[in-house]
Amino acid sequence: MRAWKAVLLIDLALLVGVGWGYAFWGLREGRLERELAEARAAATSGIERRWVVEGVVRAIFPELGVIVLTHGDIPGYMPAMTMGFRVASPKIQEAVSVGDEVRFTLQGVVPNVAVTTIEKIK
Amino acid sequence: MPIRYTVPVYALGLAARWLHLASSVLLVGSAAMIVLAGRSDRATAQRWEQRVLASAWVWALVALASGVVVVGVQTALFEARAEAAFEPQALGRMLLETQAGHVWLVRAGLLAVLTAFLCLRVSVERRADWRAARGETVLLAVAALLPLAAAGHAAAVEPDTARAIASDGLHVLAAGIWVGGLLPLARLLTAASTEAGADARPYAVLAARRFSRAALAMLVLLVATGTGLAIIHVGSVAGLVGTSYGRLLLTKLALLVLALAFAALNRAVLLARLGGDGPTVGRPAMRRLSGFVLVEVVLALAILVIVAAMNVTPPARHEPPAWPFAFRLSLAALEGRAAEATRALIGSQIGVIGLVALIAALAMRAWRLPLGAVALAALGAGAGLALPPLMIDAYPTTYLRPSVPYQAGAIVAGAALYQASCAGCHGPRGAGDGPDGRGLPRTPADLRAPHTAQHTAGDLFWWISHGIPGSGMPGFGSRLSEDQRWELINYLRALSAGYAARTMGPAIERDRRWLVAPDFSFAVGPTPPRALKDYRGRTVLVVLYALPGARARMSQLAEREGTLAMLGVEVIAVPIDADPDAIRRLGPDPRVMFPVVTEGAETIVAAYRLFAVAPHVELLVDRQGYIRSIARGAGEAGDLEALAAQVRLLNEEKIAAETAPDEHVH
Repeated sequence: MRAWKAVLLIDLALLVGVGWGYAFWGLREGRLERELAEARAAATSGIERRWVVEGVVRAIFPELGVIVLTHGDIPGYMPAMTMGFRVASPKIQEAVSVGDEVRFTLQGVVPNVAVTTIEKIK
Repeated sequence: MPIRYTVPVYALGLAARWLHLASSVLLVGSAAMIVLAGRSDRATAQRWEQRVLASAWVWALVALASGVVVVGVQTALFEARAEAAFEPQALGRMLLETQAGHVWLVRAGLLAVLTAFLCLRVSVERRADWRAARGETVLLAVAALLPLAAAGHAAAVEPDTARAIASDGLHVLAAGIWVGGLLPLARLLTAASTEAGADARPYAVLAARRFSRAALAMLVLLVATGTGLAIIHVGSVAGLVGTSYGRLLLTKLALLVLALAFAALNRAVLLARLGGDGPTVGRPAMRRLSGFVLVEVVLALAILVIVAAMNVTPPARHEPPAWPFAFRLSLAALEGRAAEATRALIGSQIGVIGLVALIAALAMRAWRLPLGAVALAALGAGAGLALPPLMIDAYPTTYLRPSVPYQAGAIVAGAALYQASCAGCHGPRGAGDGPDGRGLPRTPADLRAPHTAQHTAGDLFWWISHGIPGSGMPGFGSRLSEDQRWELINYLRALSAGYAARTMGPAIERDRRWLVAPDFSFAVGPTPPRALKDYRGRTVLVVLYALPGARARMSQLAEREGTLAMLGVEVIAVPIDADPDAIRRLGPDPRVMFPVVTEGAETIVAAYRLFAVAPHVELLVDRQGYIRSIARGAGEAGDLEALAAQVRLLNEEKIAAETAPDEHVH
């Protein structure tokens, strides 16, 4: 066999091998990432979710039906921060006062969530 | 049987790595040397080419076999069991699930292809065929060598991993072409210098010249990439002389200089004599050159031993350096000493003249001797003048990095240790006026003094650990743990920084960042703890307040929080009395939305009191984590517009990543 033919064959084989391997792994990684993103989206869209979170009451707006809480991490929704939440009923606001450390339930279809229960923990 | 990095394991790993490196490099060099020398129709040259190809095949096999041993040792160390080296599952995990494993697999595959290719009987009668076949050998050998960079220290560099791997790859490649080409060259010269090999003599001369040119280019590449890699992996003089990695690098450089001396001799003297004929030119020169090239080969193989050892040694950057000298050189020594500064300046200028003379001596052949003498004299005189004023006492721990970061908790722990062990002599506030200090051979140091620029944290660590002979300062190495000593140093740094901070007022000084805000962690109620560091990139107003005095100011801040937020300011309120019920005490009106610390306040207040003592303190921390202004008051409502103006000034400043403070004192 002529040498340049052999070399061409080997190089082609290597290129095909590298290309195939890259395509295989690359595609697989891409597919896994897409599936993960889809699963995440499915988990948070259109489905009612419920979290139990701890926090501190920072302010109460009775006329708006809003309670401001400094809260811990809400997995899959938002990190720890100070933020106002709608309350499901006025009773929830009346049960606590500013400075109370509380455990509360957040329920609803994101982003339409509300505080449904609240209790003091201290 | 558990396995650790014992001497036999280390020796086996080192030997296998060296064998692997040497054979991989020789493989690349052999292939490249054939291409460099070119095709020849002389019988001796063709015999040489066949012999080099045959040995390349052997090198490929040796590289494969030693690679298997390296992977085995690596697996045994990963799994911490000697038997793991022989277990298919363990080897599979190592090869398939780690990046180093993938690299080894790819390289083994390429080496196998190359071995098979070298066995292939192909005709190279025509020029195109010869080029294709020999070019393919180079291509496969280089492709098998390059990924080595992605399995070594360079792959662990953060950030700029890709750049580090690329530098390492180029470095290895240049080494391969230079070092690996020496042995085939020596064989060609030996063959051509015999009576029977006379037909290949012109070919050998041409090959030697071409190799010499290529080697020079590779050397430039080696020095450039090597310098880059040294900065990445070593990074400091202390790392170079104070760690095992740095010392290996120095050894490698010494061997390299020796090898380069031979290379320069070969290039300048012997290469020039190859062409002619006569008693001292031609054949004898060729024989001597082949001998000298062999010496270079031996030195290069010794360098590869060092390289193999460096591969299994953690890079200097990740090791605590032990400074080997009793002094160090620092410009800080000149602070406030005008006469010495002048002397150092004059000395440095004489040194520059010497440097210019040296360059001129290298460039101008005719004036080399006198210019060289001038250069040496000037460099010596310059160093003699400039260096002594720069000398500062140093200790083995001088460049040690604190194991405890600069945090409020460490400062408070250090303060307690200080009161227990140090206050007796150095005084309760560090002024050096303690009752036990009277009558000591030397007055205890005033620890608040700003002379600390001359002393590293490592110097303090040495004095606290071992004492200061003849001064009355005892060593605490046996009484305090290492972490306790670092806590104490963190306190001392905060103490002296706090003393300097007494001049800092409510107005910021543009672009002057010197007072690092010690990090602290805090929590609001049952929420997860946060740290001041998490606010990097935003301006923070740390407010140390006490009710009822600061009621008016707190109401004002709460009402105007929106305005502050728009300027990019986050408020963190810390009750001085550390009341866990602080949020309730602030009450519902006006609404306070910024974090009010209910856990961790005591530590924050204790540490930050070193910077300012007042019933109400507001510290403005800039986006990089430096305290830029301190407002002390009683808590009365103030001019928020003035605060906003300061923040606007901060927002106008340009910030560069490298000006962020170190997490540790130094």
